[in-house]
Amino acid sequence: MRVFACLISLCLLAQPAFSEPLPMPASAQLCVGCHGPTGGGIEPVGPRIAGLSAEYIAQQIALFQQGKRQNPIMAPMAMTLQGDKITQVSEYFASQALPEIKLHIRGDTVSFNEPASTLVYQGDWGRLIPACVTCHGSSTLGGGQFPRLAGQQASYIKTQLLAWQTGTRKGDVDGMMASIANKLTAAEIDALASYLAAIK
Amino acid sequence: MNKVILWSVPLLLLSSVSIQGVSEALPDKQAELFTSPKKPTDSYLPVRSLASIPKGEFGDKVRMGYQLFVNTQQLRGQYVGNELNCSNCHMDAGRKANASPLWAAYLAYPAYRKKNDKVNSYQERLQGCFTYSMNGQAPDNDSPELIALSAYSYWLAMGGLMDQYQVAGEVPELSDKALVLGGKRDDFSLPEAIASAMTMDERAKLAGRGFPAIPKPELAYSPERGAEVYKAHCQACHGDNGQGLAIAGIYSLPPLWGPDSFNWGAGMHRVNTAANFIYENMPFGKSITLTNQQAWDVAAYVTSKERPQDPRLTNKGVADLAKQYHQHQGYYGKAVDNGPMLGSKAYPVNPDK
Ligand code: HEC
Ligand code: HEC
Ligand code: HEC
Ligand code: HEC
Repeated sequence: MRVFACLISLCLLAQPAFSEPLPMPASAQLCVGCHGPTGGGIEPVGPRIAGLSAEYIAQQIALFQQGKRQNPIMAPMAMTLQGDKITQVSEYFASQALPEIKLHIRGDTVSFNEPASTLVYQGDWGRLIPACVTCHGSSTLGGGQFPRLAGQQASYIKTQLLAWQTGTRKGDVDGMMASIANKLTAAEIDALASYLAAIK
Repeated sequence: MNKVILWSVPLLLLSSVSIQGVSEALPDKQAELFTSPKKPTDSYLPVRSLASIPKGEFGDKVRMGYQLFVNTQQLRGQYVGNELNCSNCHMDAGRKANASPLWAAYLAYPAYRKKNDKVNSYQERLQGCFTYSMNGQAPDNDSPELIALSAYSYWLAMGGLMDQYQVAGEVPELSDKALVLGGKRDDFSLPEAIASAMTMDERAKLAGRGFPAIPKPELAYSPERGAEVYKAHCQACHGDNGQGLAIAGIYSLPPLWGPDSFNWGAGMHRVNTAANFIYENMPFGKSITLTNQQAWDVAAYVTSKERPQDPRLTNKGVADLAKQYHQHQGYYGKAVDNGPMLGSKAYPVNPDK
């Protein structure tokens, strides 16, 4: 009981989703064609960017600009943003609410019967792969520099994991995500992409 | 800030005298483990998949032990007084070799301790981690929590031994009374194939136990240099002030110092223990490896920050306690960088959330 009360009060503090969405700045007009008016994403044109932290969005724009994230469609879009505009679009998309999900807390389930959920909640330490939720948060809800994966488009999750493997996505601190993506098999990537996309 | 500290002192006295309910001073249950360096030839006990935990009452205890170990926060306010889970230090739910795995620990108790001239059972060792690493108040002897954590440890140890020596079948069940003692005793029943392969003392020193000892640093360890290592390789996850990161109120990136981390009595507050742990296990997921010197320096940085009080503190004060219990590589009772003496502004033990 006590645990529940704490969880609820802390959720209020931790989830920016409860605050009001900001009005759209002019600089974000360009983005909506591919990411949707509130950043909800349009598959397969652009991933969901709503509800990512402002810190993460700004960092990714910088990575596209520096060529550490290579993508022929998004890179030129990032180039249109400088200075204050980066903060504006980042805060705008970060303020967009996402549907709430029922959190799965570590330990709620003792054993999983297929590989994707096992990787997500427990990892595979024999290969030095930690549970995805350790960094991405309970149910991969995301926060700070760790993007939300729950409910993201499966095709996008897959292309990102492959981008790390081929070296077209870099820039994460000490390659912490790269080193994990590099250990995943093609079958695991497919399974993870559809499992994570389905967390609603 | 000051207020917290002022009322934390009487609260501490209270907790060490009456809440703990022991007449003698709290024993040093976090006494340093014997550590040895890692050898390239080491091979580790296999671990069974959690899916193979048997159905039934015994299996339920094992499952409960696992759940308490990875989500110790369900005991917050009862036995836990910080934001940590056991699995934050005993990684992969207590199964990872060289991250103080439970399968190796279980076979090393009861253990004789010089310090308090006493034989410590496994459950007493578990209690030590609640009092210090979890900054809480340990569950009573033979409580369901200690039985469950013992059952999980026993199941990992015995299952591993059985698989290593090709003994078929389920892990034999033990009574609650036997579970909490640990596996280093003459009357601990073992299949013949295992008993004849290793002596009891060999089983108590399995490769992968504890955190492997790393060589002494080339230069004396320095919190100042450690701060640079911290910024570059740790801060992304543990925060600019060691506070960790909570997502939706749940910490999976744990606090390293401050009010929500382990207290001054915990094994991890020693520079050498932290250095051994960090070198082997951090940065998390090991995308890079620190040098030996970096591991010592960053360990010194992390352990030279204020944290919850050592619950053994009496009205004789910090300096006295430092003399009695802190004659090792650590910063309790010392001042760093012209700051106040560490321990003098410590945070409360087992606070309400
Ligand atoms: C022409 C389509 C298009 C437009 C317009 C566009 N984007 Fe993108 N965006 C993409 C695509 C495609 C990706 C995925 C890139 C990849 O696979 O690396 C992406 C990725 C991103 C990401 C990374 C998301 C993540 O989870 O890491 C951010 C942030 C982003 N876009 C922000 C913006 C902003 C802000 C604008 C407006 C200034 C914008 N985009 C305009 C197509 C577009
Ligand atoms: C050690 C921490 C860590 C773990 C564990 C981890 N990740 Fe990540 N992940 C990150 C970080 C940090 C980023 C952001 C990288 C950046 O800034 O470019 C990221 C980004 C991602 C992205 C890109 C999302 C986006 O919006 O562009 C995907 C997909 C992803 N992770 C999947 C996974 C999966 C699947 C697992 C488990 C197998 C996992 N991660 C485990 C740290 C981690
Ligand atoms: C802050 C890190 C940390 C946390 C959290 C933690 N421990 Fe420990 N644990 C240690 C250290 C450090 C040691 C002893 C290593 C030493 O002193 O050399 C240890 C030792 C142990 C041992 C004995 C290991 C052996 O081989 O003898 C057991 C059993 C144990 N812990 C169980 C637990 C349980 C159960 C919890 C949760 C209630 C827990 N620990 C939480 C750090 C931690
Ligand atoms: C990618 C994120 C990440 C990075 C970077 C990282 N850690 Fe950790 N650290 C963790 C996680 C996650 C745990 C808990 C392990 C678990 O629950 O599986 C942890 C646990 C710890 C612990 C024991 C638990 C506690 O609260 O005291 C210490 C000490 C520690 N880390 C120190 C460091 C140091 C020092 C560095 C830099 C050299 C570092 N970490 C870098 C994620 C990280």
